[in-house]
Amino acid sequence: MNRRMFLAIAGLSSFFYRSYLRDLSAAEMPVVAVAEGKEYEKITVKAVAALGGMKRFVKSGDVVVIKPNIGWDRRPEHAANTHPLVVKALVEEALHAGAKRVKVFDRSCNDERRCYVNSGIAEALKNMKQVELKYVEEERFKKVLLNGTALREWELYGEALSADVFINVPIAKHHGLTRLTLGLKNIMGVMGENRGNLHRNIDHALADVNAVLRSHLVVIDATRILTAHGPQGGDLEDVRITNKVIASTDIVAADAYATTLFGLKPADIGATVAAYRRGLGEMNLNRIRIVRA
Amino acid sequence: MKKIPSARIAQLLFLVLFLVLFIQTEYRGKDEISLAVNSFFRADPLVLINYVLAAKSFTWLLLPALLMLAFTILLGRFFCGWICPLGTIIDLVTAKITKTAPIRALKGNLKYWLLFPLLFASLFNVNLAGIFDPIAILIRALTFFFYPLFGDAVRQGWVGLYRIMGDSRDYLTPGYALLRDHLLPYRETFYPLAFTSALLFCLILFLERYEQRNWCRNLCPLGALLGIAGKFSLFKRLPTRLCSDCRDCAVICPTSFDSEILQKQDCILCMDCLLKCSSARVKFRLTGQPRDDAAYLPGRRMILGSLVSGFALSRVVRFRSPSLQERLLRPPGVTDERLFLEKCVRCGECMKVCLRSALYPAIHQAGAEGIFTPLLIPRLGYCEYNCTLCGQVCPTSAIPSLPPNEKKRTVIGKAVFDKNHCLPYAKKINCIVCEEHCPIPQKAIRSERMEERDLSGKRVLLIKPYVVDELCNGCGICENVCPLEGKSGIEIFAVKDKTPLRASALVHLKR
Repeated sequence: MNRRMFLAIAGLSSFFYRSYLRDLSAAEMPVVAVAEGKEYEKITVKAVAALGGMKRFVKSGDVVVIKPNIGWDRRPEHAANTHPLVVKALVEEALHAGAKRVKVFDRSCNDERRCYVNSGIAEALKNMKQVELKYVEEERFKKVLLNGTALREWELYGEALSADVFINVPIAKHHGLTRLTLGLKNIMGVMGENRGNLHRNIDHALADVNAVLRSHLVVIDATRILTAHGPQGGDLEDVRITNKVIASTDIVAADAYATTLFGLKPADIGATVAAYRRGLGEMNLNRIRIVRA
Repeated sequence: MKKIPSARIAQLLFLVLFLVLFIQTEYRGKDEISLAVNSFFRADPLVLINYVLAAKSFTWLLLPALLMLAFTILLGRFFCGWICPLGTIIDLVTAKITKTAPIRALKGNLKYWLLFPLLFASLFNVNLAGIFDPIAILIRALTFFFYPLFGDAVRQGWVGLYRIMGDSRDYLTPGYALLRDHLLPYRETFYPLAFTSALLFCLILFLERYEQRNWCRNLCPLGALLGIAGKFSLFKRLPTRLCSDCRDCAVICPTSFDSEILQKQDCILCMDCLLKCSSARVKFRLTGQPRDDAAYLPGRRMILGSLVSGFALSRVVRFRSPSLQERLLRPPGVTDERLFLEKCVRCGECMKVCLRSALYPAIHQAGAEGIFTPLLIPRLGYCEYNCTLCGQVCPTSAIPSLPPNEKKRTVIGKAVFDKNHCLPYAKKINCIVCEEHCPIPQKAIRSERMEERDLSGKRVLLIKPYVVDELCNGCGICENVCPLEGKSGIEIFAVKDKTPLRASALVHLKR
């Protein structure tokens, strides 16, 4: 099936779906919460609250992994890494919900020490109890059987696999190969081995990994978005202030909505389409309930 | 209680200072390193003199060395007995080794035959002094051999614990994090010439079998230089010869009683003789009588011989294999190869501090004259865009210390695609990892999208990368991250024209 065919079938089936099954499925439409405002901590909390609050995800005594994008040695205003205040708000929420421990990490592209400092995340999480901002350690990667279409097996990070709750916190930004990098692509930060090899078949590879390592909650930082020269940018001309935080339990739906901020359609993003087809979530905006928080 | 000589206390303090600074010569969360082990070189008169002779200029960075020279002229060779960390290590490690007998071949003027040809070679623009500078020898042995070994041993232990304990190792993490953040090298990098560097150091220790402070009195070019300066010292040990009724000094003295008369140029002012003199005869006094018959000054033969051999030395080491030159990448900010060789101390600090372990000592890439000088090997590590540490720790500013926005614009080399390897070209497979990693805000690696048939005949949208030369600073991250095995699909090549990128390449500066 090629894309054209797929879209035709998807379009037609949605027609039937709409006419006959709408009432039945209305309750199951995935929810994407969008909070807007200039106080990033506050809107992060609001977006999660609109999904039922952090207590819905984190139970007392849980080990929570928060996986922001800390890939680049750039400052927060460059929109290359997840905003430190968004990360901080989520960490605090997880602690309030009773998390035993909150771990924050990313497998950075630039020197991780510089990334952690320059992203502002090290400073934001300084002196917080039960919170570990930690470097990725090679020995913790574990070969995981994925049995996907692109990847048979791949090394994934042990602490992400063993966490009780995995919260995926990407920043919405441009990417040369995948056009955008959002929740689905952010999962690369817990992948080991030579990640450059993935680029050969990246859309399916990302679906393969996301099918196994599911994000319990996806919070997309769209407080400011990088519209060109991604994924690391560096030019403030490419940054647009959007003051939004997007949250969902459906990673595809969250990505689909975030795509619209760039003036693109979800179907333009190969990774979103591949994940949708794999049944990892909903990409049709008319079948997603968007809640303004 | 036995009284500890002040010299010994000073030695230990300086050794601790040296080791602390050595460990501090690493990225520890701050963009600036305020104090690094380069301080020892900046107070090193051998570095100073060779810099002045080779570069034919002075730098205020080396003012402490000038002061050290002045104090040596006033007081004598106190550096060797009170400060030199290599001397201290020799004293500590080899104190228990029983000495056999001095090696005859090392006696005489050998150390001057080492020092003066080096000085003349510098005058002829080839500064090789760093190869034999005692502090450089020590730092290289530590940086290339002992420190990585130590780091790797601890790290492997830590990994081993994980294999045994699994995730319950986390309880020990705070302790390990403390070690990692304050004591260990962050990366366990292995260096070429590690063995040679260690060997040179161990050889110096081995020489102690024959004679106390063998290196210091018979070979060390810094010691020889300080000895010549110290000859003019007004500070004198009295009596100037062995007393006929005692002669204990011949045994006590570590350096200067080879004969009846005190060899003043070898006296390191440890003052052991003062403390141990059974009849309280020994005194150290400032006298108005600098003349010392026993002191050595190079004669005409030495000067002429050194001139000739220094000149020869400065020329015969210059052969360079052309094929290696195209990949000879120097640290950021180095624009002129000759000027760089005139100033580089070969101390290895830039390589130690390099964030991504991109710098390695040259073996033969820069010819014999370039041994131990730093070069960037992008396949092993790249130059981090925002980092300026190598320039900061360079003792002589052979690598200039530049503000970040200037350093980003300096050109190390230029990236070139190898279309026979690069995936979109060779295999019609999309990749673009290099473009993704290119740190230049405007992107020195860009791509064009073209519809083509892949190798199976299917129509594909290919993203084909290319390099914009005017924006490429040669940091090497593209070559480093290229996912191809072995040879990279993009490589950095050396260029003659190292004009910095124009400021507009880093547009966010405008703000």
